[in-house]
Amino acid sequence: MIPNRGKAIALYGGLTGLAVVWLVPVATVTMISVLPLDQSRAGWWNADLGELTYRNFVNAWHQGVSSYIVNSLVITLLSVGLTVTVGALASYAFARLHFRFRRLTYFLLITTMIVPVQIILIPLLPWFQTLGLAHGGRQYLGIALVHTAFGAGWAVFMMSSFIADIPDELFEAARVDGATHMQLFRRIAVPLALPGIVSFAIIDLIFVWNDLLLALTLLERDHQPITVGLANLQSPHLAQEDVVSAGAILAILPPLLLFALLNRYYVRGLFAGGVKG
Amino acid sequence: MRETTATRVAPARAGSRRRRVVGGRDLAAYLFVLPLTAIFALFYLWPAVSTILSSFFSWGLLQPWRLTEPDSWDFVGLGNYQDALSDPDFWSAAVNTAIWLVVFPALVTGFALLVSILIWYAGRGAGLYRSVFILPMTISLTAAGVIWSFIYNPDPSIGLLNAVTGLLGLGDTHLWLSDLGSIHVGGIELRLVNLSLVVAAFWAFAGFGVITFTAGLASVSQELVEAARVDGARVSQIVRYVLLPALRRPLIVVVVVSVIFALRVFDIVFVMTQGGPVQDTMVLALLLWQDAFAFLDTPSAGLAAAIAVLLSATLVLGAYPYLRQLTRSGSRR
Repeated sequence: MIPNRGKAIALYGGLTGLAVVWLVPVATVTMISVLPLDQSRAGWWNADLGELTYRNFVNAWHQGVSSYIVNSLVITLLSVGLTVTVGALASYAFARLHFRFRRLTYFLLITTMIVPVQIILIPLLPWFQTLGLAHGGRQYLGIALVHTAFGAGWAVFMMSSFIADIPDELFEAARVDGATHMQLFRRIAVPLALPGIVSFAIIDLIFVWNDLLLALTLLERDHQPITVGLANLQSPHLAQEDVVSAGAILAILPPLLLFALLNRYYVRGLFAGGVKG
Repeated sequence: MRETTATRVAPARAGSRRRRVVGGRDLAAYLFVLPLTAIFALFYLWPAVSTILSSFFSWGLLQPWRLTEPDSWDFVGLGNYQDALSDPDFWSAAVNTAIWLVVFPALVTGFALLVSILIWYAGRGAGLYRSVFILPMTISLTAAGVIWSFIYNPDPSIGLLNAVTGLLGLGDTHLWLSDLGSIHVGGIELRLVNLSLVVAAFWAFAGFGVITFTAGLASVSQELVEAARVDGARVSQIVRYVLLPALRRPLIVVVVVSVIFALRVFDIVFVMTQGGPVQDTMVLALLLWQDAFAFLDTPSAGLAAAIAVLLSATLVLGAYPYLRQLTRSGSRR
């Protein structure tokens, strides 16, 4: 493919240069998080690597990051579990069945991919109070329901396209044997569309874990996730880069590990969005 | 499948026939969509309708507007919209949002195009390079904002960027997040400090373009390119006549999605500058949030709702062809 040696060197040189520049921000936060404050204040690129420490992580953990992380976990697992379950059920209907207002419903679902969250945010707090979702542990349920509603467009868009790719013959054969739709869903649609469902689940996990706006607006302080925690710690007047950077690393790691382990599914999901969208 | 059968049996009455054939299945379909649509209606549709309705009233979160409590109604008609459109803060935020709208999609698209074509040519190691450029996509915009605040730190012994510009002889005292000067275009002042935020968001988001373009290029036949090369085509010609045509649809997707991103941008501005100094980096999505939530005792939630409606209407109208296309591709089956 590559015409000649000189061009090959230029190509790989250029790509590698860009890749290195692209990783500099990651190196920055990593180095600041493992250096004592006086070292990173003198330029992390000058640092004495003998001074590396894990103290910042311990400090961050004790300054509230631990409970932020727990809240993030609860919110993310609850939201994604709910979205994937109700989303997969609805996707089966959108991919395989006819019903009234199907196109209109689909259109409305898809608008969530376009409008800003702010279009629902402002009356949501009074609405939560009306529904009894504004305080205590119920806040977790409240925000999970909003994440499900706002993620519904992506959920149906992605999962129904994977279910629709399953050959009709499989469903027809099972129907002849008298299977109900619930059996078709559980024995054929879910197992065969599983890669697509996993792809969506990963994208949704990363999306919900990384949400700032909904959590910032809807949750009381002791229920807030790590993104809000980071924004709280970030105040420029506090000058605590050591703690903030360690908190940032802890916020980044879970989605990053998921990406490293399941890269294939993540890329495939976004591929599907890009090519079919 | 179902539809072709119905058409074959009774072409003239396919419509009515299909409805009757499907009639027996209706109940199952409704049960399958019910949980999702119930949640969707309660936590998206109704709040969105409330936002629109409440934008015609004056209210604040301490005295919330409720449809069921006429006591809470302080009807002002289009007053909130007039207030928004006559407020200099609104227009200043609109100008900054316009900077995002132009620069962000251009950066994302141009860079992702370049990188994807380079990766496509490289072949070997493509997966690794692609992963590097996708990696920041998994990082929250909040964390990206924190990271870039380190890089932009004005003190050249803390902030990497000033250290580098100092080394290059370009000065090491730039105020990347507070003052970079401005340029005037047609009497409108464009503050360059917004670009610092755009670059941070661009770093976090460009991977989406790389993924999408890589998917588009996967369909280009290597033999075709090889044949063109043997016939003496230059790289620029191959890019122009073979690769770019294959990227037509992915290009539309990346431009549309990054335009949507730019108009909705909130997190990274909130974390890095809170819209400051003064209002220099304020964007519409943050302005309306502050109107509604930063000062709870002022009754400006109606004003915030009006801005939210204006912003959403712009997005839905602007992206309508894209929405239609998504709906069609989704209802094809």
